[in-house]
Amino acid sequence: MENYSALISVVLAAALAVSAGATQAQEREESQAMVLLRGLPTLGTKHSIAIVELDPESEQFGEILSELEQPDTVHPLHHLYYGPTGRLYSTGLDPACSLAEIGLARDDSGAPSVTGISCIDTQGQMVGEDIMWANSNGTEYMFVTFMAGTGGDDGGSVGVFDAQTNEVVKVIEARKSEVAEGAPFIMYPHGISAFEDRMVVSSTIHPDLATGVGNTVTIIDLNTLEPIQNITVENEKPLDFPSSPVEVLFARPSMHPDIEPAIMVNTMLGFETWTIPYNAETKTFGTAEVVYSGAKNGTAVPLEFYGNEDEMFISHGLPGVVKRYDLAKLPELVSTGPDIVADPGAHHMIFYTSASGRDLIAVQNNLLNLGNAADEDPTDIDFIASLNAHTISVHDLETGERLATLNFRERYNKGVDNVEALFGSGFVHHH
Amino acid sequence: MFRALIPLALAAALSLAGWIGWGALRSPNATPIVGFSAPFVFGRFAVPTDNPLTEEAFLLGRRLFYDPILSGANQTACATCHFQRLAFTDGQARSPSLSGGELPFSAMSLTNLMWGQERFFWNGRAETLEQQAVMPIVHPDEMAQAMDELIEELRGSRTYRKMFRASYGEISADNVGKALATFMRLLISADSKYDSYLRGDTRLTAEEEYGRKLFMAHPDTKVSLRGGNCIDCHSQFLTSGFRGELDGFSNNGLDPEETLPDGLMEVTGNPAHRGFFKVPTLRNIAVTAPYMHDGRFQTLEEVMQHYNNGIAVSDTLSPLILEADNAYGRAEDIVGLRLSENEMDAIIAFLHTLTDETFLTNQRFADPFKGER
Repeated sequence: MENYSALISVVLAAALAVSAGATQAQEREESQAMVLLRGLPTLGTKHSIAIVELDPESEQFGEILSELEQPDTVHPLHHLYYGPTGRLYSTGLDPACSLAEIGLARDDSGAPSVTGISCIDTQGQMVGEDIMWANSNGTEYMFVTFMAGTGGDDGGSVGVFDAQTNEVVKVIEARKSEVAEGAPFIMYPHGISAFEDRMVVSSTIHPDLATGVGNTVTIIDLNTLEPIQNITVENEKPLDFPSSPVEVLFARPSMHPDIEPAIMVNTMLGFETWTIPYNAETKTFGTAEVVYSGAKNGTAVPLEFYGNEDEMFISHGLPGVVKRYDLAKLPELVSTGPDIVADPGAHHMIFYTSASGRDLIAVQNNLLNLGNAADEDPTDIDFIASLNAHTISVHDLETGERLATLNFRERYNKGVDNVEALFGSGFVHHH
Repeated sequence: MFRALIPLALAAALSLAGWIGWGALRSPNATPIVGFSAPFVFGRFAVPTDNPLTEEAFLLGRRLFYDPILSGANQTACATCHFQRLAFTDGQARSPSLSGGELPFSAMSLTNLMWGQERFFWNGRAETLEQQAVMPIVHPDEMAQAMDELIEELRGSRTYRKMFRASYGEISADNVGKALATFMRLLISADSKYDSYLRGDTRLTAEEEYGRKLFMAHPDTKVSLRGGNCIDCHSQFLTSGFRGELDGFSNNGLDPEETLPDGLMEVTGNPAHRGFFKVPTLRNIAVTAPYMHDGRFQTLEEVMQHYNNGIAVSDTLSPLILEADNAYGRAEDIVGLRLSENEMDAIIAFLHTLTDETFLTNQRFADPFKGER
């Protein structure tokens, strides 16, 4: 009789175990990330958007939890952004889909999934780069930089979209070849940031990486949505190219009350970080100055600005490090600790916690994810190939210690173009 | 000796096989929820692994919710104090008590319970929805039902035998709680004008949009930012309290120190939680009057007046409320937002965008007995 009872217990326990395993409760998603994956031509893979687990403490570390292949486009999506009402957007490199809204949903266990990619009519604007939401005369719009604009050798535009309907409200264009001598122009815009009624966009490089390279930032008056000033940010030319300003950040008191307003600029080919002080009362910009020289400090290709509550992080594609600074001291760059040593191509990053509560930073290490000549990949460009580690490295945020590495090329035969935290976690200041 | 054991072993094996087979015949045959969807922006949610969302559990939970069989006198159902049309509140400051008088608290709205705080009731006395679901059933002032008697009554019903078998396998107190919890978990309100706005399908009016901005802002006179301070307690999308630990409980300045009720302290024993109550969802708030845990305010205008100039100071008053002031310079006798009438009207206009007619009239949540009577 005792054995019979024991057997019943075993059977019941097994039944309960089956029941418990039938539904995966969604206990936490702080460590899940959205990634844009690029199919690599020689490896026969397709571009996609995916949700991936990035907690080194999880048995699922590195697993793709949900993935949706891009519709048939030659070039992939490029950069993810959440809007203020929680809608997810991505810029895109393909002329057929330079801006898209991404559908997200949850199943009945609470697990998130990617459900769709809806390309948005950009009225001919191509090669979407960065997005930010800002007010013009009291109305909030979605501003998108298009590095190719509507085409041509000196193209480039800032698209102003209705934040509700995604319809184009205005295309801000000012070709250097068409404006008067000395008048402000917009060319190859990439980075974007704003403070009060002033917006700044950078002038980076023609999307073909050959036709032209910029060395200025353009100030846009958000009252009129017109460009009003160009500021040159070029000093050393370590590659003998124009400086190619890439990401910009309008440092402002809303990020930290001690911050004096100033534009910060990373120059991709000048290897420098610049600051341009701003007087909010007179609405004038001071003299641009170099606050960090990669040539003098052994780094190159500075790319992104990311901040949390008390630190500012800047990624440097070579040798692949993230430098960290005191947020309150901006626009001065006052170091708060040793570099976080990522991989070549150190680029975008996210901040989150592990299951045990450890503060983490994950760095996506790829510049453009082009292929490698060793694979006979036609998209290879020597300079850029050395900036493509195809990895996301995960580090302890406090110490910088590397805890894990996910190599997308080895595991999924794809490159990784962008990482963004799943909604509800991630960075505080980006633009 | 060995031969003598063989028949016994065979008999035991047959018994076991029979028991397993009978169990299989009676085992639940539950299926996933049909067409489940929830807005991504509501955030993550966790469903207990031993009570997954199934269609059969939902239908059983709905029937139980509307059935007065759950009460000792077979006269009171959950739905007696939770009307769908009122977002599952009852329109009263406090629901009547079986022993006469009133219950201590107002009936809470049952909306979007998979998100927000992981404790239930105004004072957080239930740690799971399954637990919450059975507490009113056995409470002597609410439904006054002896659980063993309820189980016997349910076992006497062919319909319930069939529904429990399909959803959970057996009729038990635990499974009554699980079914009710499943029904309540699926009371998802996500089709208000605000939801439509979040999806990009609708524009808010100028007044609603102004109210939305005030709702989402903590006032800061240093940068001339005016705000209603609602977001400090009511999250952006769900408009409920925050999920983390006890973050979703707060003292919102209803009573002074001398008359401050225990609130959450009754559960935690921590004096720092005195006067704390669960921050409710504001979904469908326009139809859930009267307001607060004791229903002391009849209208949203009265609620806004409370936050504007009627905050009672006590030791545990939320510092976010204490310091939220839109006027320059501290007033000696007023603690509150000090918004203009227009600003308060705008916030109320925004709150009306949280009314979800689809939710309030969804036949899937309605009384299943109506079709049977």
